[in-house]
Amino acid sequence: MTNAWRAAGLTYIQYSNIAARVLRESLRTDLRAAAAKRDESHVKFTPWANGKPAPRKSETA
Amino acid sequence: MSFVKNARLVALRGARLSQKRSYSDDMKLTFAAANKTFYDAAVVRQIDVPSFSGSFGILAKHVPTLAVLKPGVVQVTDNDGKLTKYFVSSGSVTVNEDSSVQVLAEEAHNIEDIDVSEARQLLSKYQSALSSAGSDKAKAEAAIAVEVAEALVKAAE
Repeated sequence: MTNAWRAAGLTYIQYSNIAARVLRESLRTDLRAAAAKRDESHVKFTPWANGKPAPRKSETA
Repeated sequence: MSFVKNARLVALRGARLSQKRSYSDDMKLTFAAANKTFYDAAVVRQIDVPSFSGSFGILAKHVPTLAVLKPGVVQVTDNDGKLTKYFVSSGSVTVNEDSSVQVLAEEAHNIEDIDVSEARQLLSKYQSALSSAGSDKAKAEAAIAVEVAEALVKAAE
Protein backbone atom coordinates (compact mmCIF):
# COMPACT_ATOMS: atom_id res chain seq x y z
CA MET A 1 0.00 0.00 0.00
CA THR A 2 2.42 2.67 -1.14
CA ASN A 3 0.42 5.75 -1.89
CA ALA A 4 1.98 8.77 -3.59
CA TRP A 5 0.99 10.99 -0.65
CA ARG A 6 2.58 8.64 1.84
CA ALA A 7 5.80 8.64 -0.21
CA ALA A 8 5.72 12.46 -0.08
CA GLY A 9 5.70 12.31 3.72
CA LEU A 10 2.01 12.92 4.38
CA THR A 11 0.10 10.93 6.98
CA TYR A 12 -3.44 9.56 6.80
CA ILE A 13 -4.56 12.28 9.22
CA GLN A 14 -3.38 14.92 6.74
CA TYR A 15 -4.98 12.97 3.90
CA SER A 16 -8.23 12.86 5.88
CA ASN A 17 -8.14 16.60 6.59
CA ILE A 18 -7.80 17.42 2.89
CA ALA A 19 -10.53 14.96 1.90
CA ALA A 20 -12.91 16.39 4.51
CA ARG A 21 -12.20 19.96 3.38
CA VAL A 22 -12.86 19.17 -0.30
CA LEU A 23 -16.13 17.45 0.65
CA ARG A 24 -17.19 20.52 2.66
CA GLU A 25 -16.36 22.78 -0.29
CA SER A 26 -18.60 20.75 -2.59
CA LEU A 27 -21.74 21.08 -0.48
CA ARG A 28 -24.86 22.99 -1.51
CA THR A 29 -24.46 26.70 -0.83
CA ASP A 30 -26.94 26.70 2.06
CA LEU A 31 -24.87 24.12 3.93
CA ARG A 32 -21.40 25.27 2.93
CA ALA A 33 -21.01 28.20 5.33
CA ALA A 34 -21.80 26.13 8.40
CA ALA A 35 -19.53 23.34 7.19
CA ALA A 36 -16.64 25.73 6.51
CA LYS A 37 -16.46 26.48 10.22
CA ARG A 38 -15.10 22.98 10.74
CA ASP A 39 -12.10 23.81 8.52
CA GLU A 40 -10.39 25.51 11.40
CA SER A 41 -9.71 24.16 14.81
CA HIS A 42 -8.80 26.23 17.81
CA VAL A 43 -6.57 25.11 20.61
CA LYS A 44 -6.00 27.21 23.68
CA PHE A 45 -2.99 26.49 25.82
CA THR A 46 -2.87 27.40 29.48
CA PRO A 47 0.44 26.73 31.18
CA TRP A 48 0.24 25.63 34.80
CA ALA A 49 2.75 26.42 37.50
CA ASN A 50 2.61 25.24 41.13
CA GLY A 51 -0.84 23.77 40.65
CA LYS A 52 -2.36 27.01 39.31
CA PRO A 53 -2.85 28.35 35.81
CA ALA A 54 -0.04 30.74 35.04
CA PRO A 55 -0.90 34.46 34.60
CA ARG A 56 -2.21 35.60 31.27
CA LYS A 57 0.94 37.26 30.01
CA SER A 58 2.75 33.93 29.92
CA GLU A 59 0.02 32.64 27.57
CA THR A 60 1.18 34.97 24.86
CA ALA A 61 4.84 34.26 25.58
CA MET B 1 -34.58 -28.00 1.33
CA SER B 2 -37.93 -26.65 2.48
CA PHE B 3 -37.05 -27.62 6.04
CA VAL B 4 -33.96 -25.43 5.89
CA LYS B 5 -36.01 -22.60 4.44
CA ASN B 6 -38.66 -22.93 7.17
CA ALA B 7 -36.04 -23.11 9.87
CA ARG B 8 -34.54 -19.87 8.58
CA LEU B 9 -37.93 -18.18 8.56
CA VAL B 10 -38.54 -19.26 12.15
CA ALA B 11 -35.10 -17.98 13.12
CA LEU B 12 -35.80 -14.64 11.43
CA ARG B 13 -39.15 -14.34 13.19
CA GLY B 14 -37.55 -15.10 16.51
CA ALA B 15 -34.97 -12.42 15.97
CA ARG B 16 -37.62 -9.85 15.12
CA LEU B 17 -39.82 -10.74 18.08
CA SER B 18 -37.09 -10.23 20.66
CA GLN B 19 -35.06 -7.32 19.36
CA LYS B 20 -33.75 -6.40 22.80
CA ARG B 21 -31.46 -9.41 22.80
CA SER B 22 -28.50 -9.01 20.55
CA TYR B 23 -28.86 -11.68 17.93
CA SER B 24 -26.03 -11.79 15.50
CA ASP B 25 -28.67 -12.20 12.79
CA ASP B 26 -29.24 -8.49 13.16
CA MET B 27 -26.60 -6.09 11.96
CA LYS B 28 -26.44 -2.96 14.06
CA LEU B 29 -24.93 0.01 12.29
CA THR B 30 -23.42 3.04 13.96
CA PHE B 31 -22.50 5.59 11.32
CA ALA B 32 -21.22 8.93 12.55
CA ALA B 33 -19.08 11.81 11.40
CA ALA B 34 -17.81 14.95 13.10
CA ASN B 35 -20.77 16.80 11.60
CA LYS B 36 -23.63 14.37 12.22
CA THR B 37 -24.72 11.01 13.57
CA PHE B 38 -26.58 9.17 10.83
CA TYR B 39 -27.28 5.81 12.51
CA ASP B 40 -27.00 4.95 16.18
CA ALA B 41 -26.99 1.16 16.57
CA ALA B 42 -29.78 0.92 13.98
CA VAL B 43 -30.58 -2.46 12.45
CA VAL B 44 -29.94 -2.46 8.70
CA ARG B 45 -29.69 -5.11 6.01
CA GLN B 46 -26.58 -4.18 4.05
CA ILE B 47 -23.77 -1.63 4.05
CA ASP B 48 -21.38 -0.99 1.17
CA VAL B 49 -18.20 0.88 2.01
CA PRO B 50 -15.24 2.16 -0.03
CA SER B 51 -11.89 1.31 1.55
CA PHE B 52 -8.21 1.23 0.67
CA SER B 53 -8.43 -2.54 0.52
CA GLY B 54 -11.26 -2.24 -2.02
CA SER B 55 -14.98 -1.57 -1.79
CA PHE B 56 -16.96 -4.22 0.02
CA GLY B 57 -20.47 -5.02 1.16
CA ILE B 58 -21.31 -6.01 4.72
CA LEU B 59 -24.23 -8.27 5.67
CA ALA B 60 -24.99 -9.75 9.09
CA LYS B 61 -22.47 -12.38 10.22
CA HIS B 62 -19.70 -10.79 8.17
CA VAL B 63 -16.23 -11.82 9.24
CA PRO B 64 -14.76 -9.30 11.75
CA THR B 65 -12.88 -6.66 9.78
CA LEU B 66 -11.03 -3.39 10.16
CA ALA B 67 -10.57 -1.10 7.16
CA VAL B 68 -9.55 2.46 6.35
CA LEU B 69 -12.14 4.47 4.44
CA LYS B 70 -11.42 5.99 1.08
CA PRO B 71 -13.32 9.06 -0.17
CA GLY B 72 -16.48 7.66 -1.77
CA VAL B 73 -20.03 6.52 -1.40
CA VAL B 74 -21.32 4.52 1.56
CA GLN B 75 -24.58 2.76 0.68
CA VAL B 76 -26.93 1.67 3.43
CA THR B 77 -29.84 -0.68 2.67
CA ASP B 78 -32.36 -0.73 5.51
CA ASN B 79 -34.62 -3.65 6.40
CA ASP B 80 -37.33 -2.44 4.01
CA GLY B 81 -34.84 -2.53 1.15
CA LYS B 82 -34.59 1.26 0.93
CA LEU B 83 -31.18 2.42 -0.25
CA THR B 84 -29.56 5.59 1.08
CA LYS B 85 -26.28 6.97 -0.22
CA TYR B 86 -23.77 9.05 1.72
CA PHE B 87 -20.42 10.50 0.75
CA VAL B 88 -17.62 9.97 3.27
CA SER B 89 -14.33 11.82 3.18
CA SER B 90 -12.24 9.38 5.17
CA GLY B 91 -12.25 7.47 8.42
CA SER B 92 -12.55 3.88 9.52
CA VAL B 93 -14.94 0.95 9.40
CA THR B 94 -15.10 -1.78 12.02
CA VAL B 95 -17.05 -5.02 11.72
CA ASN B 96 -17.32 -6.88 15.02
CA GLU B 97 -18.01 -10.51 15.83
CA ASP B 98 -21.51 -9.69 17.17
CA SER B 99 -22.43 -8.22 13.74
CA SER B 100 -22.25 -4.64 14.97
CA VAL B 101 -20.65 -2.25 12.51
CA GLN B 102 -19.11 1.16 13.14
CA VAL B 103 -18.50 3.55 10.28
CA LEU B 104 -16.67 6.60 11.61
CA ALA B 105 -15.93 9.40 9.17
CA GLU B 106 -14.25 12.77 9.45
CA GLU B 107 -16.97 14.31 7.29
CA ALA B 108 -20.06 12.64 5.80
CA HIS B 109 -23.08 13.99 3.95
CA ASN B 110 -26.13 12.69 2.21
CA ILE B 111 -25.35 12.45 -1.49
CA GLU B 112 -28.16 14.93 -2.25
CA ASP B 113 -26.32 17.63 -0.31
CA ILE B 114 -23.49 17.67 -2.85
CA ASP B 115 -23.57 20.38 -5.50
CA VAL B 116 -22.55 18.69 -8.78
CA SER B 117 -21.48 21.87 -10.58
CA GLU B 118 -19.47 22.95 -7.54
CA ALA B 119 -17.77 19.53 -7.48
CA ARG B 120 -16.86 19.90 -11.18
CA GLN B 121 -15.39 23.35 -10.53
CA LEU B 122 -13.38 21.98 -7.62
CA LEU B 123 -12.08 19.20 -9.83
CA SER B 124 -10.72 21.60 -12.44
CA LYS B 125 -9.43 23.96 -9.74
CA TYR B 126 -7.42 21.21 -8.07
CA GLN B 127 -6.30 19.75 -11.40
CA SER B 128 -4.65 23.06 -12.26
CA ALA B 129 -3.28 23.27 -8.71
CA LEU B 130 -1.75 19.84 -9.27
CA SER B 131 -0.05 20.84 -12.52
CA SER B 132 1.36 24.02 -11.01
CA ALA B 133 2.44 22.48 -7.70
CA GLY B 134 6.13 22.91 -6.97
CA SER B 135 7.17 20.69 -4.10
CA ASP B 136 6.47 16.98 -3.71
CA LYS B 137 4.29 17.76 -0.70
CA ALA B 138 2.18 20.35 -2.56
CA LYS B 139 1.84 17.89 -5.44
CA ALA B 140 0.68 15.12 -3.11
CA GLU B 141 -1.82 17.43 -1.39
CA ALA B 142 -3.28 18.55 -4.72
CA ALA B 143 -3.43 14.94 -5.93
CA ILE B 144 -5.51 14.01 -2.88
CA ALA B 145 -7.90 16.90 -3.57
CA VAL B 146 -8.20 15.81 -7.22
CA GLU B 147 -8.93 12.23 -6.13
CA VAL B 148 -11.68 13.43 -3.77
CA ALA B 149 -13.16 15.82 -6.35
CA GLU B 150 -13.24 13.02 -8.95
CA ALA B 151 -15.07 10.77 -6.48
CA LEU B 152 -17.49 13.61 -5.68
CA VAL B 153 -18.32 14.25 -9.34
CA LYS B 154 -18.78 10.53 -9.97
CA ALA B 155 -20.99 10.16 -6.91
CA ALA B 156 -23.16 13.23 -7.47
CA GLU B 157 -23.82 12.78 -11.20
